[in-house]
Amino acid sequence: MSLLQEERDIIVSNEFVDAFDFAEVAEFVTNASKELFISHHFKNKDKMLVQPRGGFPTYQQQFALYEYFVKANVDVLPLTIDSNTRLNDYATAQKMLRLSEENDKDMLNGYPLIIHGYRTTRNMITNFDKPVSLRHGTPDARLLVETAIASGIFEIEGGPITYLLPYSKNFPLDKAFLYWKYVERVCANYSELNEPINRESFGPLTATLVPPCITIVIQLLEMLLSLEEGVKSFSVSFAQQGSMMQDIVTGAVIKKLAKHYAEEIGCGDATINLVYHQWMGAFPTNMDYADQLINLATVIASMVGADKIITKTRQEATGIPTKEANAKTVADTQYTLRILNGLPTVVDEEEEEILTQEVMAIMEAVFNDPADTLWRKVFNCIKSGVIDVPFSPHIINQNEMITIRDAQKNIRIIERGNVPIPDKCYEYERAQCDLTKDTTSIVNDIIHDIGIMQ
Amino acid sequence: MKVVTGVVGNDIHVVANRLIDLSLRARGYDVYNLGVNTHLQEFFDAVVETGAEVLMISSLNGEAEGWGREVRLLKSKYKSLDDVIMMIGGNLTVGSGNAEDIVARYKNYGFDIVCHQMDLNTGLDMLQDLLEARGLVSEEAIA
Repeated sequence: MSLLQEERDIIVSNEFVDAFDFAEVAEFVTNASKELFISHHFKNKDKMLVQPRGGFPTYQQQFALYEYFVKANVDVLPLTIDSNTRLNDYATAQKMLRLSEENDKDMLNGYPLIIHGYRTTRNMITNFDKPVSLRHGTPDARLLVETAIASGIFEIEGGPITYLLPYSKNFPLDKAFLYWKYVERVCANYSELNEPINRESFGPLTATLVPPCITIVIQLLEMLLSLEEGVKSFSVSFAQQGSMMQDIVTGAVIKKLAKHYAEEIGCGDATINLVYHQWMGAFPTNMDYADQLINLATVIASMVGADKIITKTRQEATGIPTKEANAKTVADTQYTLRILNGLPTVVDEEEEEILTQEVMAIMEAVFNDPADTLWRKVFNCIKSGVIDVPFSPHIINQNEMITIRDAQKNIRIIERGNVPIPDKCYEYERAQCDLTKDTTSIVNDIIHDIGIMQ
Repeated sequence: MKVVTGVVGNDIHVVANRLIDLSLRARGYDVYNLGVNTHLQEFFDAVVETGAEVLMISSLNGEAEGWGREVRLLKSKYKSLDDVIMMIGGNLTVGSGNAEDIVARYKNYGFDIVCHQMDLNTGLDMLQDLLEARGLVSEEAIA
């Protein structure tokens, strides 16, 4: 028996798991409907795929949510996991599920997949026969991903960096890399049985003034860590940034460089997709304005040429959305996509060149780290601040980089910290901003720049 | 002038914490930032360890109310904290509440300066005023 299989046996021997049958799961994946695989849809689509967010505690509620989504003409269904399961606290998830079922009050902010189990959940997934995307935020997602694939969920979001730096203060980053290596290998192995399992990175990160070069570097590195384990279908992603120009430039550079670096490690045969998140920052409380913001994001996603868009709702500012509000966004987004025709091509060569140089300089610094494996190189670079994510709560993050918006609302780097932004690019970024202000006014500007859509 | 700061309790909201850090440094303080998700005892330990004159706690999710009650009891277990200026700011209650009542409650918990839903720079000016009143700094400089 391989070491991986030994580890898998240990992972599923969990008191909250009801007899995991690997042979049966392999047979299920081998014979599963192509419709369940988002990689199949990416291959054959003629439009941008639309995917909402959403997870409820009980099976009945989740089933009802999917019915609403299907009526609204959804392309990809989400399964958002509750926060206890994300932190591997299955006992609390179980207790809160029971309380949610007994009372009419939701005690969980998502679907507790481990507690429901794969046999039950698979009934729901195969019933709708649509691709489902696993949305979580889990540093140790080994059991969750085993359970998801066994349920018929063939897209797995996340990664060791993007699911840790925005969400955790002190979960060890080196452990996260190893836990995600397991996930990549399990996804790679199942991909040999039918259509590929798609992996997706979480580009929005902290959704707070993250400059595009940092977003792209982290997307590329999680992509490489996934492809080197044998994953054949991967989605890089980013969220609406606040400037249409910057989004278009980011989209162009990430597509170009994803292909470049995939070929560089001999994985040019993998399919790379681009996902765009509607605005992930603070939303307006006025729901009509929220609808406008959502619509604008859909237009920009089209300009960017995204393969999939992930939607928000008009209730974003007030809490977890109802299934009605969630389905409304899906229908609205599909309508906007249908009437958006004859889009012009917009290119800003100077900005593309600057961003490309920034990304390649950081990537070079990562590859030049003396460690022996890619994940250790990336670990060292996060620790030393070569990669620095603004507003990450994690203790390992350097927090030296400072960003603000210029007059066009582009995110610009005014303090690079230890990030090896080339001097020429750094001067260009700073030249776009008014740097004569004192720190108090800059802090006030930052507060304004974060809440730009409110 | 040394300041220990951080976000109290199981609160992961990091944005204001970073901005407090930046603003304090700009005003010339030596900042020891414990970040988000910090327990009360960790704050006091850090004050002892660094010899800080000011402890500045922030909260967004309102959890500070639950922690505030334990301030006096916990503080009394330390011998050297009597002269430390205790400041708290952010959103200091779950749901909505009357600012006057909230400030009175927190002063009773043992805080010297309480800033409920107040502009950051106004709060930092209040700290400056108190430091001057206690003769700890001159009007010109902090550091």
